[in-house]
Amino acid sequence: MLRRDFVRAIISILFAAKMTRAQQAADPTLPPPAPVPWTLGLNSRTPLPVTELADEIAATELRFFSEKQMATLMRLSDVLLPPLDGKPGAVEAQTPVFLDFLIGASPEPRQRVYAGGLDWLEQTAQAKYKTAFAHLNDAQAGDLLTPWLRTWMTDHPPTEPHADFINIAHDDIRSATINSKAWSDVPSVGAEESTQVALYWSPIEPDLFERAECAGIPPHAQAVPKSAHTMPSYPR
Amino acid sequence: MKNEIHDVLIIGSGHSGGMAAKILTEAGIRCLMLNAGPVADVTRDAARKPAYALPYRGFRPPKQIDHIFQANEFNANVWVDEQEVPYTFEPDQPYNWVRVRLFGGRSLFWSRQSFRLSDLELKCKSHDGFGEDWPISYEDLAPYYSRVERIFRVAGALDGPPQMPNGSFILDDSPWSLSMQRFIAAAKPRNIAVCKQRRAVGVDGLASSVNLLLPDAEQTGNLASIADAVVREITVDKNTGLPNGCNFVDRLSRREMSVKARVIVLAAGTLESTRLLLNSKLANSSGLVGRYLTDQIYGAGVVCSVPEARGGGASAHEHLMGGSAIVPRFRNVDTKSDQFLRGYAFNVSSMMGAISPRNFAAYGAELQKKLDEYYGSGFQMTVMGEVLGRYENHVRIDKDKADAWDIPALHIDTKYTDNEFNMAKDAVEVGCELAEAAGFEVLSKNNMPNPPGYSIHEIGTCRMGNDPKKSVLNKWCQSHDHKNLFVVDGASFTSGGWQNPTMTILALSMRASEYLAGEMNRQSL
Repeated sequence: MLRRDFVRAIISILFAAKMTRAQQAADPTLPPPAPVPWTLGLNSRTPLPVTELADEIAATELRFFSEKQMATLMRLSDVLLPPLDGKPGAVEAQTPVFLDFLIGASPEPRQRVYAGGLDWLEQTAQAKYKTAFAHLNDAQAGDLLTPWLRTWMTDHPPTEPHADFINIAHDDIRSATINSKAWSDVPSVGAEESTQVALYWSPIEPDLFERAECAGIPPHAQAVPKSAHTMPSYPR
Repeated sequence: MKNEIHDVLIIGSGHSGGMAAKILTEAGIRCLMLNAGPVADVTRDAARKPAYALPYRGFRPPKQIDHIFQANEFNANVWVDEQEVPYTFEPDQPYNWVRVRLFGGRSLFWSRQSFRLSDLELKCKSHDGFGEDWPISYEDLAPYYSRVERIFRVAGALDGPPQMPNGSFILDDSPWSLSMQRFIAAAKPRNIAVCKQRRAVGVDGLASSVNLLLPDAEQTGNLASIADAVVREITVDKNTGLPNGCNFVDRLSRREMSVKARVIVLAAGTLESTRLLLNSKLANSSGLVGRYLTDQIYGAGVVCSVPEARGGGASAHEHLMGGSAIVPRFRNVDTKSDQFLRGYAFNVSSMMGAISPRNFAAYGAELQKKLDEYYGSGFQMTVMGEVLGRYENHVRIDKDKADAWDIPALHIDTKYTDNEFNMAKDAVEVGCELAEAAGFEVLSKNNMPNPPGYSIHEIGTCRMGNDPKKSVLNKWCQSHDHKNLFVVDGASFTSGGWQNPTMTILALSMRASEYLAGEMNRQSL
């Protein structure tokens, strides 16, 4: 019993001495000698800079829709999801500009649905009212849109021409608007839908190999013979 | 560099690989597990964010995972990137191959529905003449189901008809909501059983290989695992002709490596295991590797509204809404349909929250009025239907396409037939009839199944059987051609069923692994 206590005491003294030395070596009040190892500065106490969303501040140019298609899409967005009960509408949420980006990045079949659908809507407005869709009033736009509205289950939007575009665009316009910062800034009440907030998975140890290969940066060669003229010469 | 020969090489770390690792290592067998992807660490790799802070406002990032309908931008990076690991199909026969290569595979994300097959599925040919009977019966599998259910902590009630055998459940004795009671009353005169859902509760909110199987295996000290090991091919001993290991490539560094083992256990998921066998030119004396690809039809269903729950009724009547049920197969059990073979189940939910705007042909202020009024009144039936195993529905190697590591890609050649389409139509008709009888309003319906693969229940491409000419594996999931090669994932299924296959995959892997452990400990292998 006594012997065990003695051993324990010895161990704790040795351990304490070691701890003291370690603390001295890592004393944060002492400035580290320069040059400082450059990777050691960031730590869990480092303040994180505050950043804003780019599309809250910056403008973008149209990349996919034509000016005319965008004018039609703006009006369509405003009709299908106008500002309601304090919530911003699709136009306030910059949904048409976002869709120009999303559809522009999408596979060709989806681009066709949108471009073809917007052109058809414009032609129909011209044929019926001799006016651009962008300038139709709510009742006129409603007359053109309502016959094509369908009920449908997830993953199965209507496939008949025109109904496909109207219902898919309606769904996208709603989703893009509800998931916007502008919509999120106004608290939802009752059955009003809320901006999706969920666990976002970053790329998990992504494979950058192929991208690096494609970058085409000339390799650094370690054992290449030195050039005879190593100093650049400049015209004087 | 080591030249160690491992007892067993397990390729894949999901439910089937995890179970093989647990059973084998606990029997004292040293295992090496290879997984094609990294370990996912939720504390390092994930953070809560609003959709507007993501580049695509929550929409699926275009072209990365176009065939994963289940995905959105939040979880886009957990799935296999279709451009990194491509697969091909004919344009008019799309296939949705939904893959996860993270450690633990799809066991990290599954829906937890936990059902047993019955002899109606295992002896299907004896029942209706189509396809093949399995070489095992329900009696062979039942004890393994029980053990799996206890590990995965399956909750359910002992209320199944014979075609949905009861199990070792955490008993669910919660009362039915009033809307569910009305649905049950509508189903009863039609001889349709409505049962409590059966789901794996797991531990700490997860029921996965990584928390229920792999820790046990690791604790034995007999398991070594390597992440990011993309297996190129299984190698063969020139003298014996037996598989003896594999060549793999490190996912990130592209370094080529190899390992040796006495026994190979494939658990990479039905289609990846099949692709590996085809690329390695193994186990295929029957010519059936890749044949009989099946899954289940998903996507068809009916969305309704319970009228009394509208206009605030859901919150006024406390027990009106809520709860879920499973309607096990009722077609072609005691009666015979002239429209289709086999049958389907319904997942039934009485929903408390918002109803999707897709259920209303309206927009703007009028739509919002509908959404307000119908809030909390949703009642939904979705279909899970058996797909017949057909020889012509198959996968093969695409000679013109390879993945990011230059491993030849899979070509998937499969489609649904009238049997599946007629089944979906019947299901939606029955769903509407039940809704009407219960006094519910049908808001929307769909009888067109999603593309094959969507259910993430692909099975059957290395079917088991007693005849080596008519099957790839024997009743122990062991290759007829190579006695030291096992396939323990869903590839071994001789036929499907309406049931989610996870419990059966786990039970089969457990059974095969115990057989293998016995053979190895008796030194028969």
